[in-house]
Amino acid sequence: MASLITCPHCGVRPKEEFSIRGDAVPVRPAPNAGAEAWYAYVYVRDNPKGRIEEHWHHTAGCRRWLVVERDNVTHTVFSVRDAADVAKARSGEVA
Amino acid sequence: MTLSFAHRHVLEDHIVGFETKPNPHHLAVARRPTILSVLSHAGFEAGVKAALQALEGVSVRICGPAEWLAVSHSVGPEALLRLVRAIEGVSAFDHSDGRVLMQITGPNVRKILSKCLAVDIDRDRFPIGASASMQIAHVAGNLARTGEDAFEIIVPRSYAGTLFEEVKEMGREFALTAAFSPE
Repeated sequence: MASLITCPHCGVRPKEEFSIRGDAVPVRPAPNAGAEAWYAYVYVRDNPKGRIEEHWHHTAGCRRWLVVERDNVTHTVFSVRDAADVAKARSGEVA
Repeated sequence: MTLSFAHRHVLEDHIVGFETKPNPHHLAVARRPTILSVLSHAGFEAGVKAALQALEGVSVRICGPAEWLAVSHSVGPEALLRLVRAIEGVSAFDHSDGRVLMQITGPNVRKILSKCLAVDIDRDRFPIGASASMQIAHVAGNLARTGEDAFEIIVPRSYAGTLFEEVKEMGREFALTAAFSPE
């Protein structure tokens, strides 16, 4: 169930402890990337059904940003990772 | 012009009337504990944690990765701040006046706490010495297990009144008493 999130730092926690920011898929463009890229990053969103990745903030716990991979139909949670680790993995740096 | 400030505990107005003897289930509010917020710089986490735990008379509460609360009833804020800031890779600040510490004890303490927690505090899952930040009666606070049936709650000062009343209400079933802890 999506109402229980296994925080990598705190363990199993209720969803009430978190605030959800939104889609974790868009990657922030470079500062000089141009209006089109920034427009797409800020405003353009898909509305997918099924497996999604979101930024969750563990507000009442460790106050870390997490990337929660879950299914918005069945509420199954597939993975919860620290957003810093995800960013490091994306940029190719060893976490 | 000189101003002199008198220390007045935030729960002073909540704990009024004649003092009763503490029941088996009791909520004790510490009058002036020392509470420091400690953060570790990247890469120094393990060293800072070990150094904090080595300090005498200091109880370390885990808030998250690289973040702790250092609690003491014997060392004053200035003295402890000096000790903690001597550790390499540390940022520490005095939160003694910004946080309120209360200890709840009693054989059915888990039954009382489980009314306002959504975290597993079973004897085995939350052993003595364990601590974590969590939502306590909708307030983001820190819970620590300090004894067999003893827990300590640390909450921001501005939420202490709400939490105190909530915990008292939840403890009514077991005749929970509340008072400032004796110095």
